[in-house]
Amino acid sequence: MLFAVALGFVGWTWWGSLVPDTYSMDDMGVADFGGGEAVAHEAAHGGSAVGVDTLTGPPDGEPDVSETLVARAGKVEIGGDGARAVDGYTLNDTSPGPVIRAKQGDLVEVRLVNESVPDGVTLHWHGVDVPNAEDGVAGVTQDAVQEGEEHVYRFVAEDAGTYWYHSHQVSHEQVKRGLLGTLVIEPARGPSTDDVVAAVHTYSGQRTVQGMVGEQHVEAAAGSTRRVRVVNTNDGAVRTWVSGAPYRVVAVDGREINGPTPVEGKTVSVPAGGRVDLEVEIPDDGVRVSFGGGASLVLGPADADAPTDDEPKQRFDPLTYGSPADIGFDPDAADRSFEYRIGRRIGFLDGRPGFWWTINGSIFPDVPMYMVQEGDVVRMTISNDSGKVHPMHLHGHHAVVLSRDGVSASGSPWWVDSLDVRDGETFEVALVADNPGIWMDHCHNLIHASEGLVAHLSYVGVSTPFRVGGADHNHPE
Amino acid sequence: MRSTYRALAGLIAIGVVLQAATIALAWFGVMNDVDGGAVYDEGTEYNAGQSLHAILGMIVIPVLALLLMIVSFFTKVPGAVKWAGLVLLVVVVQVLLAFASFGAPILGTLHGANALVVMGAAGMASRRVQSSVGAPEQATAQPTAGAGAGA
Repeated sequence: MLFAVALGFVGWTWWGSLVPDTYSMDDMGVADFGGGEAVAHEAAHGGSAVGVDTLTGPPDGEPDVSETLVARAGKVEIGGDGARAVDGYTLNDTSPGPVIRAKQGDLVEVRLVNESVPDGVTLHWHGVDVPNAEDGVAGVTQDAVQEGEEHVYRFVAEDAGTYWYHSHQVSHEQVKRGLLGTLVIEPARGPSTDDVVAAVHTYSGQRTVQGMVGEQHVEAAAGSTRRVRVVNTNDGAVRTWVSGAPYRVVAVDGREINGPTPVEGKTVSVPAGGRVDLEVEIPDDGVRVSFGGGASLVLGPADADAPTDDEPKQRFDPLTYGSPADIGFDPDAADRSFEYRIGRRIGFLDGRPGFWWTINGSIFPDVPMYMVQEGDVVRMTISNDSGKVHPMHLHGHHAVVLSRDGVSASGSPWWVDSLDVRDGETFEVALVADNPGIWMDHCHNLIHASEGLVAHLSYVGVSTPFRVGGADHNHPE
Repeated sequence: MRSTYRALAGLIAIGVVLQAATIALAWFGVMNDVDGGAVYDEGTEYNAGQSLHAILGMIVIPVLALLLMIVSFFTKVPGAVKWAGLVLLVVVVQVLLAFASFGAPILGTLHGANALVVMGAAGMASRRVQSSVGAPEQATAQPTAGAGAGA
């Protein structure tokens, strides 16, 4: 009898876990108003709702930066000694795709053409707080671009910094296999130092920087200064360290650090999807920036032979680095306070038994839909008790870190869009809801996202005409 | 039912041996790959040993343990239910230890040690039924017992 009851319970749980073949983000999850005004969720379904597809960048005007990116499936050539080509995806025949450079205030236009990627593709502008329709999430902000189709993205490059772009269709597979590139937005007045873009990606067990394995030499005169824009496009953190000279961490996730001081003998852990800009003054013997797995950049004169230090044990900590500055709003006057509690438990994910990620105790799709109104000051407490690290990425916004494990941030404002929340850690972050839309808030270990570690921040009154799954084959994770 | 019970318990014990074999295959595979210049990170897919270990440990052995539990209710051998329950318990503990070990690798030592407990419990369960087959005073002297043993 007891056994029958148990069996019935398991069957019921299994049935309840099934996700429909196609669904709209408007009906997803459990509305969470974070203690704020429980504004009518139904507004999203009413006639007055604003469609995600209307929240575009400037539709008219000559773009300052214009680029066409052609996505293809095929061999990815890897540079460097002993490298082997791998099966994957390219943009304009390379992976990473071209570095797109814009100046602050430029209108950027990118035409994405899918020539031969069978599952369809999109481009998400990781870290760029673009209007919602330009966010590139299949099934939420657009339909996946199928073979033979194209899609145009237009947005104003508002904030100078280091960013990247990648497909957000079947992203756990497409990003890993190379459908990505970097975007640099330079300050309007022009960069104060020359920069070096260092997108780190692992292709089938080959750790690369800008598509090359091993050591690469970058010519730089002794005494000059270089900004190394480290972009981690992997599913896990990349440890970066500098041998031969001290460095300053001048930006994190596309936001400048206030009052950066010289750092020595410390490893910088760059979360999956995260960016860190390091500034170094080049000594006579050159300087080496290492990314693990044998990948490194040597910056210096032609004959520079920078030292090869082991990875320092000590970690760079942004929580206490740099000098405090005004963040432009008062997080203590928050309109809404949310909880994003990550755990793991035995259960069913769409009918599959396993040990799955949970958000606030529930397995996908019973995850929170964080509801906000434009102008809200929002606090979010992100905690992790799941046994593994989760690089949490919020689309369309930057959040400022208030505290970690109860210790208040005491350095420069630490703005993030990709934040590693390690097992056992709790972060408090705050943001201003200033970009209407439906925004993913997910783990950028994209395998974890495909296993349901995905929630959304949704503005009241915004709805999407797009659907996940179904005839349009939209599979954002 | 008794022979089914015995077979299931035996398969669980053999499963533990296979788990020791697959995890060794996994680790030597990793070291061999690294020797050849490969980098292991979050994006690295499981090698053959890791995949087999995951499938056996998360699906095959737990399913066998559940079946053993179900079958145990029909064997009518004293202690069969108790031993099947114990096997299921230590299998669940084994899976939980595995997942806890990702965050706290030191618990992996318990995962390794508990594997031997799983094998011991499965072996004891198997022997329990076997000995009762040879001991008529414990068996419920039914003609179906023989038929069951032949099924």
